[in-house]
Amino acid sequence: MASNLGLICLSLALLTSIFLILSFTKHAIFKTDLNYKNFYFSFKISFFLILLAFIFLIIAFIFSDFSILAVYENSHTDKPLFYKISGTWGNHEGSMLLFILVISLYGFLFILFSKNLSPDLKSVTIFFQSIIQIIFLIFLIFTSNPFEKILPVPNQGLGLNPILQDPLLALHPPFLYLGYVGFSLLFSLLLAALVINQYDSRWASIAKRWIFLPWTFLTFGIGLGSFWAYYELGWGGYWFWDPVENASLMPWIASTALLHSILVMEKAKKLFNWTAILAILTFVLSLFGTFLVRSGILNSVHAFANDPSRGFFILIIISGLTFAAFVIFILKSSKEEKNNQSYIFLSREFSVLVNNYLLIFALVVVIIGTTYPIILSVLTSESISVGPNYYNSILAPFVFIFLILMAMGPYLKWGKNFFISIKYRFLNFLLGSIFITALLSFVLHNYDIIFWLGISCSLYLLISIIYEAYYLRFSNLNFGRLFSHAGFGLLIFAITLNHFFSKEFTAKIPIGESATYENFKITFVKSSSTKEKNYDELFGYYEVTKGNRTIPLKPSIRKYHQPEQFTAETSIKNKWFSDFYLAMDYSKDPSSGIGIRFYFNYLVALIWASFVLIILGGFLAFIQRKNEKSI
Amino acid sequence: MSPASKKRLNYFLISIIVFLIVGKFVLNSLQGNTVYFFSPSDLSKLNEKPNGLVRIGGLVKSDSIQKKQKDNIYTFVITDLTNDVYVEYKGILPNLFQEGKGAVIEGVLKDKKFLIAEKILAKHDENYMPPEVADALKKSGTWNKTYGK
Repeated sequence: MASNLGLICLSLALLTSIFLILSFTKHAIFKTDLNYKNFYFSFKISFFLILLAFIFLIIAFIFSDFSILAVYENSHTDKPLFYKISGTWGNHEGSMLLFILVISLYGFLFILFSKNLSPDLKSVTIFFQSIIQIIFLIFLIFTSNPFEKILPVPNQGLGLNPILQDPLLALHPPFLYLGYVGFSLLFSLLLAALVINQYDSRWASIAKRWIFLPWTFLTFGIGLGSFWAYYELGWGGYWFWDPVENASLMPWIASTALLHSILVMEKAKKLFNWTAILAILTFVLSLFGTFLVRSGILNSVHAFANDPSRGFFILIIISGLTFAAFVIFILKSSKEEKNNQSYIFLSREFSVLVNNYLLIFALVVVIIGTTYPIILSVLTSESISVGPNYYNSILAPFVFIFLILMAMGPYLKWGKNFFISIKYRFLNFLLGSIFITALLSFVLHNYDIIFWLGISCSLYLLISIIYEAYYLRFSNLNFGRLFSHAGFGLLIFAITLNHFFSKEFTAKIPIGESATYENFKITFVKSSSTKEKNYDELFGYYEVTKGNRTIPLKPSIRKYHQPEQFTAETSIKNKWFSDFYLAMDYSKDPSSGIGIRFYFNYLVALIWASFVLIILGGFLAFIQRKNEKSI
Repeated sequence: MSPASKKRLNYFLISIIVFLIVGKFVLNSLQGNTVYFFSPSDLSKLNEKPNGLVRIGGLVKSDSIQKKQKDNIYTFVITDLTNDVYVEYKGILPNLFQEGKGAVIEGVLKDKKFLIAEKILAKHDENYMPPEVADALKKSGTWNKTYGK
């Protein structure tokens, strides 16, 4: 029942979108009048149809309608309701439907929130958004129909991968999609502006918000994924430079470069072509990320189905869209920039230019590290992997320079060299940061050069922000930038300390005994087991003693029934600056001892706090309409 | 040459030099951190043992896991059913590391048949077969559908 209705909704959405495109093309070619109201109305209809299809799929999951293949493969009657719902996007077909829903949602929001836009720009944007929507609807219906039926109807489903049965992970995909699929609207907006020759500094003020919104969601999605990896995977870390993580980082870096360059375009009327290239690149990298995780090239929890034909289809979509976008860009690129090419050394736009160079460098490093193993395996069938050290060693020096520039840039002025007149301010920041770093280094007994650089550079940024907030125009601050920059400074500060002061320790401890490592003592007190609806759980009761503090920890091992699989549930207690993190290993015979992994993680809470600050900054930038004044 | 084009030429030359230096730096780092994958049969065909970190993959041979003395030192055999590699690992064996199942081990080779393991790579579910292992088994002609996806 739900399957028929769902498919009908999707087909109608496709027809509506095609109708919309055709009527617009007719208007454009024959110069007939376009009824804008009807035009937008039909886009809204297609949005509601897709939404309805998505709701039907959720209903099918809730009521375990195993006549639908996707439900059969990814659900089970014993699963808690929450995970039945999240199972909807925990598989390839459902997540592609969500993908299209987000494309459509952004078009819908754009219609609602751009009332005073020129009708040309608005309608052409919706035209391009509909084209993207049609392409992916065709992909969905013909290669990954979420409503595909199975006969005979099975009595029971295969269940959802237990590792995905986590509240954080249920929310991670929707936010990630709201992020990178959201860049589709910016892409449409860019193409529309180019086609109707309205790609100018006014366009930048309009488009800015449509970067901030998806950028904020993308940051949130990446943060959630990282948070989940920390809590659920039990490896003690929060970022592994896994290709799948990189897939979401690539559009993030590109969009971060973009939201800086678009400010130059708006304020200084420069970097027009560059901004256009970045806008295209951001969307293409978002699609490329989808391709990487969906094609089965990479192996991870994200590679739901290894069907090469789908990967091939996405690759064609990417090439087609990129090609079309660049053709439009080359034919229609802006003329406004031509007489405005020079850059004044140490002006504000100069600092953004350097920011963009550095970000593109970081992007290239990540792209090389992610794609090199894939390209090599295709060409030579050699399989390799690139270690995290590659990224850390190349990106660390870059981040240090980047932090200093992040501190200086906002103090500079558009169009003139203001650096000399405030050089003593910068010197004071430097002295301040070196002083605090020396103090920290002395207190913590760490004299490593990387520690010094990481701490002093991030403090430099933080001091500059505090100075700005307290001593300069307290009333007229750009909170969006302040928060996100402060968040980034804190993030690097926390990562540096975490890197140098975290400890890791594995042992096998029988019941009643204990193991010691440096000044930690871990005692295995007892174990107990329980039976839940969809899994059995074995708990271990441990006490970790450090100095005169004793912290009880209770990690567990779950044995899921459908599909049969073990997961380790970590036990994490936050004390002052550090996390006590314990994960247990599976053991057939618990009495002979259970393997544990203990991590003493320094300042991880601060890492999450800085994520929150960055996200808050993005959100404030989105709602703050007032234009920024230079300091 | 006019001063403007001279300036432009300088910029061009400087950026080329910076680009080359940075490129060299990136490539070096990439080479230094690349981990190659071998199946036991791949290894046996090599003339010399590869240096540095490598990954090997295959099935954990049945009844091969042994524990040395009181420490957490384990030895086991990774096989693609034609060739074997002996592995020594100090640490805790992960949940999904079981005899007869696929595994990927990262470590340094002492010789072509003996690996000192540094880590056993985690897998996400127990039916999952690392694609490298599947390829290794297919290459040695011992692939069997019961091994998983």
